[in-house]
Amino acid sequence: MIAILEIVFRLALWLLVAPLLPGIINKVKAWVAGRQGPPVLQLYYDLARLWRKSVVMSTLASPGFVIGPAVAWVALVVAALLVPLGPAGGALSFKGDVLLLVYLLALARFCTSWAALETGSAFEGMGAAREVSYAVLTEAALITAILSLSVQTGSVMLSGMLSLSSGPGALLLAAGLFSVLLAENCRVPFDDPNTHLELTMIHEAMVLDHSGPLLAVVLHGAAVKLLLFAVLLSEAVLPLGRLPPLAAAGALAGSVGLVTVGVGLVESLLARFAFRRVPLLLTIAFLFCLFALVLAWIGGAR
Amino acid sequence: MNIGTLLFFGLGTLVAGIALGPRLPRVWLALTIAGTLAMLGAALSMLGGGSAWEWRSGFQLGGETLHLRLDGISAIFLALVAAVGGLGAIYAREYWSDEQHPESAPRSRLWWCAIILSMGFVLLSSNGLHFLIAWELFALSSFFLITLDRSARAGRAAGWLYLAASHAGTLCLFAFFTALAARTGSWELGPMRGHADLGALFWLALAGFGVKAGLFPLHIWLPSAHANAPSHVSAMMSGVTIKMGIYGLIRFSGWLPMPDAAGWTLMGVGSVTAVLGIAFALAQNDLKRLLAYCSVENVGVMAIGIGGALLGAAHGDALWGRLLLAGALLHVWNHGLFKSLLFFSAGSVLHATGTRELSRLGGLWRSMPWTAVMFAVGAAAVCGLPPLNGFVSEWLIYLGLFDTAASRNPSAVMAMPATILLALAGALALASFLKAGAVIFLGAPRTKAAEGAHESGPLMRGSMGALASACVAIGLAPALLWPPIARAVGIWNPAWASGAPPVPLFALGMAHVLLAGLLLAGGALLWRRVHATGMRRALTWDCGYSRPTARMQYTGGSFSAIAAGWFSWILRPERLQHRPRGPFPERASWVERAPETVLERIIEPAGRVVMQLSNAARRLQRGRLQFYIVYLAGGLIALAVLALWTK
Repeated sequence: MIAILEIVFRLALWLLVAPLLPGIINKVKAWVAGRQGPPVLQLYYDLARLWRKSVVMSTLASPGFVIGPAVAWVALVVAALLVPLGPAGGALSFKGDVLLLVYLLALARFCTSWAALETGSAFEGMGAAREVSYAVLTEAALITAILSLSVQTGSVMLSGMLSLSSGPGALLLAAGLFSVLLAENCRVPFDDPNTHLELTMIHEAMVLDHSGPLLAVVLHGAAVKLLLFAVLLSEAVLPLGRLPPLAAAGALAGSVGLVTVGVGLVESLLARFAFRRVPLLLTIAFLFCLFALVLAWIGGAR
Repeated sequence: MNIGTLLFFGLGTLVAGIALGPRLPRVWLALTIAGTLAMLGAALSMLGGGSAWEWRSGFQLGGETLHLRLDGISAIFLALVAAVGGLGAIYAREYWSDEQHPESAPRSRLWWCAIILSMGFVLLSSNGLHFLIAWELFALSSFFLITLDRSARAGRAAGWLYLAASHAGTLCLFAFFTALAARTGSWELGPMRGHADLGALFWLALAGFGVKAGLFPLHIWLPSAHANAPSHVSAMMSGVTIKMGIYGLIRFSGWLPMPDAAGWTLMGVGSVTAVLGIAFALAQNDLKRLLAYCSVENVGVMAIGIGGALLGAAHGDALWGRLLLAGALLHVWNHGLFKSLLFFSAGSVLHATGTRELSRLGGLWRSMPWTAVMFAVGAAAVCGLPPLNGFVSEWLIYLGLFDTAASRNPSAVMAMPATILLALAGALALASFLKAGAVIFLGAPRTKAAEGAHESGPLMRGSMGALASACVAIGLAPALLWPPIARAVGIWNPAWASGAPPVPLFALGMAHVLLAGLLLAGGALLWRRVHATGMRRALTWDCGYSRPTARMQYTGGSFSAIAAGWFSWILRPERLQHRPRGPFPERASWVERAPETVLERIIEPAGRVVMQLSNAARRLQRGRLQFYIVYLAGGLIALAVLALWTK
């Protein structure tokens, strides 16, 4: 009973906090540009509005167009449940849960891209093609980062590998994982979440034909994914397990906020890269993680 | 019933199937199902906890007494042979029916029973000579099944290539078994770890079984054979027969002493096979070639597992070696199930539209919803997505590799690159199968053939449904499969025989059940919400085009272009383009083909050089007496000079 209550509580936390992050990013961007900007809670209003709207579906789309976003959203939420929250640990914790997390992200990617391709539109095809192609590099970087944490801590469990410090490679790992975060969540310099109708987009091009509750689910899932990566990045770098519980929770929250502000700053100060340079950038992210792995390996004693 | 009775019943019914099958299709179906069920029963009762079954007859074959044995390892493979054999027979009854293929359907039935029987004998025989006989029969039955449709030139060429490659492998196995018999003094097979001098024979076995399994670069025959065979045969080939190579590797790596480099080599070859196999798959435009290359990838995954087990055994560390071998064994089953499912769906598409080319398909979900769902399930399983079976075995292999790295064992130097390459292969597999699934089933039909598609009949759908539900069931309850897998691991290396799983398979199963429940709930919630808020249909929004056509859709080639471009150094795509010219261009086209690089860039040029040399040598044969007298005289003089010179 308590376990179920705990899961429900965590679920509520993830679902409610996640839409805050895009709001903060937008506020930071507005602040840097000297604008007023939309309210921080804007995404909540948008979600509530979209959830009540009706849907326009492509004449070509199959029921998979509805099922795809739903599956992707559930996969992301379950992945979020696996992530330990600092001193509270994870809701479901077992050896090898980190791999389930990686493959749940893959499941979400599969379903989002499948739903995008439902419409037969060239735009969505381009978006999905870019999404799955760049994911090849981000997945390699992510697995390398996890491998370096695993070598560093001797554990294959999220709660074990994230509670200790990531050792001498912490900075490298932070740089690598931050790039992965930007790429996986379709932020500048890999993608631009603002311009909807361009040939140059990844994620936004994939959801061109989604509307109403479908779009709400996609947007909320994207927010959950951003929060998930921010938490993962913070926990990978900070030795939260060595702090007292309250301090650890505070540090985690502060660090997530810092990452979010960082994303906003990157978005304000950098322009989006040309697509042919994206693989190069992702390879650099992979190399950061690889060097972190090498450092963890030769670092020896733990 | 005991195992022996079941096996002999299976043997009897399958022999009767060979005899009666060509003329009586219904009797054949009943006999094949009964025979494969009996084989499945025998394998399952073995896996359920039976002790190893042995049978020696007084009967002699080739001067050796017939000695059959079924143990935990061969039972795993026998169960797969029986399951796919039975379901494939049901599928073939409709797919390759007498009405559509009056000439080849009887042959299909005959060789179908023959291949099941010969694979059964490969798995059971405990004598090197009989193993070779069964192996050869199995190779020949495969050849006749691949070339069922002899009207197509590509099919005949694929058959010949298969025959040649398969015999090159068999040659290595001949050398392997005769050397084994010569050194041990008997053709009997069994554990021979005591003979330290047998280690070097592993390389012969690796080459021989590697050809059959399709390890890179020995896979050259595989794509064309699997693509051009009828789809029920492709399912058997990709799902089951390449596993015979894996069986050979597992069997003999467990029995023979291993050279130190074996584990390193196998893991390295496996990693390369996995990545390059799936890179080739991504670039294909032919659905069945794509599936065939994906089998190469999965064989690589299994090789990583076996190599890791060898490393684990060599380094005395039981835990992660066990995990890797268990993962490889489970992947044998899983790949057999989902790859057969995918080939069955591919056959269903081919049956309905008459083409395997992705660029000529599209929008099939409307006319073939059942096949579309089956393909989607198979695609998700082959990409290793939870909560399906593919994830379970990949999870075991990943865990083994992570444990190797975390334990800071020297083998980690190989395990860490293997992990990264495995992740790379997984992400590429996702791209490949998204491309295949979307281009075939989603969007608008690209040709008339795709427009006129129809759903396949109940037998084909039923066999696909059975395979898909097996994929789901293994995903939801992986802990049930641990005991038989653990027993097989214990037979492979007696030091590893212990019961409890070293990993929380039960917890994974629970997580999968939870995930599946939430997926159903989430899907239902959104489905109801969409219908409650009201839904209307409109044209796909394409930046204001009011009349989009099917030709404006994204193609498979464009979809894979980015990632395939990273591998163009090995893919070497051939492009043929006619650019539009002038103010009123008449025609423009762009054709891209991904050749089988190893075959077309290495083997074929080498073969041409050999042929040229032979042709040059042939000029010596003039058929006129005078020339031969000159050769004789020349030879004698040369010998005389040589004799005087060396004196």
